[in-house]
Amino acid sequence: MTDAQLADLSRVLYSPVTLALYTAAAIALLAALSRTVGGEVARGGALRRLGRVLAAAGIAAHVAHEVVRGLAQDRLPLGNMFEVTSLMALVGVAGGLWYLRTRRRPELEGFVLLGGTLLLGLALLMYAEPGPLMPILTTWWRTFHVSLLVGGMGVFAAGFLFTALYLLRVRIDGLDADAGEHRGTSPADATVPEGGPVDGGGAAVAVRSAPDVAALRRRIPAGRLAAGVFLGASTVSWVWAVALEPLSTGLARMLTVNVALVAAALLARWFAPHLPDAEVLDGIAHRTVAFGFVLWTVGTIAGAMWAEQSWGRFWGWDPKETGAFLTWVAYAGYLHGRATRGFRGERAAWIGVGAFVTLMATYLVANYVIVGLHSYAGL
Amino acid sequence: MDPPVRRAAPPPGPRPPHRVVLDAVAMAWRTLTRMRTALWLLFGLALQSAVATVVPQAPNVPGTVRAWLAGEEGPGAGVSGVLDALGAFDVYGSTIFLAFLLLLFLSLTACLVPRIRGWWRLVRRSQPPLLRAAAPDDVRAGVLVGGDRDAALAAAREVLSDRILGVARWRVRTAPDQVAAETGLWSREGGSLAFHLSFYALLAAIVLGQLTSFEGQRGVVEGEPGFVDAAVSYWTYDPGRWFPEDAHAGWRLDLASFEVDWIRDPLAPGAGQPTVFRSEVDVTRPDGTVERAVVEGNRPLVVDGRKIHQLDWGYAPRVVVRQGGEVVHDGWVPTLAGTGVFSGAVKAPAAEPDVGLELYLYPYAPDGPDGPRLTGAPWAEAPVLLAWQWRGDLQLGATQQTITELDVSRLDLEGAAWLRPGDVTAFGDVEVEFVELRRWVGFQVSRRPQVPGLLAASALLTLGLVTALYAYRRRIWVLAEPAPGGPDGTPRTLLTVVGRAFQRPDAAAEEHARLVDELARRTGGTRT
Repeated sequence: MTDAQLADLSRVLYSPVTLALYTAAAIALLAALSRTVGGEVARGGALRRLGRVLAAAGIAAHVAHEVVRGLAQDRLPLGNMFEVTSLMALVGVAGGLWYLRTRRRPELEGFVLLGGTLLLGLALLMYAEPGPLMPILTTWWRTFHVSLLVGGMGVFAAGFLFTALYLLRVRIDGLDADAGEHRGTSPADATVPEGGPVDGGGAAVAVRSAPDVAALRRRIPAGRLAAGVFLGASTVSWVWAVALEPLSTGLARMLTVNVALVAAALLARWFAPHLPDAEVLDGIAHRTVAFGFVLWTVGTIAGAMWAEQSWGRFWGWDPKETGAFLTWVAYAGYLHGRATRGFRGERAAWIGVGAFVTLMATYLVANYVIVGLHSYAGL
Repeated sequence: MDPPVRRAAPPPGPRPPHRVVLDAVAMAWRTLTRMRTALWLLFGLALQSAVATVVPQAPNVPGTVRAWLAGEEGPGAGVSGVLDALGAFDVYGSTIFLAFLLLLFLSLTACLVPRIRGWWRLVRRSQPPLLRAAAPDDVRAGVLVGGDRDAALAAAREVLSDRILGVARWRVRTAPDQVAAETGLWSREGGSLAFHLSFYALLAAIVLGQLTSFEGQRGVVEGEPGFVDAAVSYWTYDPGRWFPEDAHAGWRLDLASFEVDWIRDPLAPGAGQPTVFRSEVDVTRPDGTVERAVVEGNRPLVVDGRKIHQLDWGYAPRVVVRQGGEVVHDGWVPTLAGTGVFSGAVKAPAAEPDVGLELYLYPYAPDGPDGPRLTGAPWAEAPVLLAWQWRGDLQLGATQQTITELDVSRLDLEGAAWLRPGDVTAFGDVEVEFVELRRWVGFQVSRRPQVPGLLAASALLTLGLVTALYAYRRRIWVLAEPAPGGPDGTPRTLLTVVGRAFQRPDAAAEEHARLVDELARRTGGTRT
């Protein structure tokens, strides 16, 4: 096949194939949740099996896309914002599903696919045709440095998802605490499945009947959630409004991203009653972010080593270096916050949300707005 | 009974002034050493970095900062003035940033000193406690083994006695009815301490590096004599305070040839991207040996511990200026790349009055119906030089101007002309000749003795971080109680293995299961 045919194939594999498979997998896995009883997952439901097959096919198509694109342009697909965001989604989905398997938390799989679909769509907004890379960039230093950071971004994305889900779960639990009663003690929740909880990790999860799920869901006010997510998303998406010409295009892009995130948040709210315990979610989010932090740290150090080799200085506060440092400090704040009295729990989680906002905002600002040594020219 | 009082109550009446000061200092110290304060300091650091991401920084892009201050770019001169007053154009050199860094290091020190002491005590003395009552979150499993209690507990000790690099993994304590073991506490805390201590190593390497490093830049025209590594040769010279001027090695660098190219097809993917950027240089050492070497992107040349990078390149037209037949300027004029044009300047103070030429070189400008057609392409297929001539006072030494800039505030414009290589033009009594076009390469020569130290500190940081995040503290207790004898009347013992995790409960539970299996395998017991 010629490069042009390969390029076409890679585009088709990405959209519609991967995008459709991720979307379908997310729908199937989330729908499987609403059919399970309470917070417990009935293993091996047909819908869940279907969702998993779709997710596996989606990951396979995504990997195939990356390989074909790499062949089409004869280089690793790590060279522009589309490629980076696409790989970030792949790492987030594949890594997230793998981690959930080790933690035996299949009820979170649908949310991971939902997040992956969003990231995939985000990458599509920045689509660029396959093309060569400047020769100065074709060095294993770059492969080492960028793949670690992109891996870190994907892991941080998964960490952000779990943190956000934790915050949703806390809303549901928080009202319980206010009312002075605990989940599982109200008459509607009275039955406990035979043999106690299936998972050893959390406290006893009670079976909830359908109307109870709706009542739990109502504890997260939809209007406030939508408004909050819209405003929160704007802390990142303003970059498009500033960077794209004309202003109407930029505003449309900003609005698209915001609305997509609001829709995803409302969908997550719908299934929030099926989430695992807040403590479990907090633990999963923390372990995920911790791993991402290691990748980010090593990737940044690798970048400094490459800069010393290529530019003759290891650190120069170039916009991207500043962004990497800022993100590192923000995540360091999250990790320390979790170990600090008064910050533990919700406040630490909000620091984690802020850290991901920092990551995405500096990613966009340093590529779209400010021209530095690192900028992807013309993107 | 009253609890023991640690400090005496403050004496009645006004406190003496030195007490007030001491109390204030103690109070400030206590506030500073709290984790919450450290978090807020970290937040402050992040906030300043956020400013530096959005506001251009003078050490990186001085031109942009000047444009902001002049109101030509950015939010306008008024806002820029306020930003400047706040030090926002040089965040990392500002007093506020350094103050935050200092406070953070103070806070870190205050936090680390007791932690290191505690850790040392722990490593030397700590013993796992015996189990009195299991907690609800503990994992437990039973193994029924043959033999009496002592034999069963000895087997349990055996299972817990594996060593890594000669160091026992579990710290084990034995009681008549149980074996208690703990691990992970020292490594987790030790990793965290190593991570935090690496910042001192980083800081030391950076500060020492600032003092002893050296960086100089110098342009060299291809085929022309290069430069000698000596303080006076460099166009910009930036030595650390402790870098002696006589530390230069005295080798000589000449540019034999230079290669640069682009993807020239405007329809090809990546059109206009550079494909080659490569200098072949001759290095002549003080003893006279000559060595041919190549400098490329990502591949600096190392000579006597100095790294030589290609920093920049541009075209260098040779321009001769004559006044009344007498040569007042003859030299290669380095030009800097802009968008589609390379700009430079000729300053000829030998003329009377001074002659200044503002030069714009268009590398690919074939002849069109009305003069040169400027394509913007950077390859020199049809170069043309646009020369603006200025007369008057160049103000050399009086105002700040780089070699490619002309200060025209006291100059008058005389005229402009297009010149192809070989062309001569005349402005009044001055004759300007564009003789030949070559290229120049800007080399950076640097010595950074701090790099090994930085690498070591980074390795410590990474290792410490991974250990702090992945080592986890957990305890295992093996409780033994006599069980009803076997079918043939031999004694049997019931071992209960209790595991308690302080972090990563899932990993601890897996390890607990492995230990129980191992115990059952070694003792030939059965799990209950």
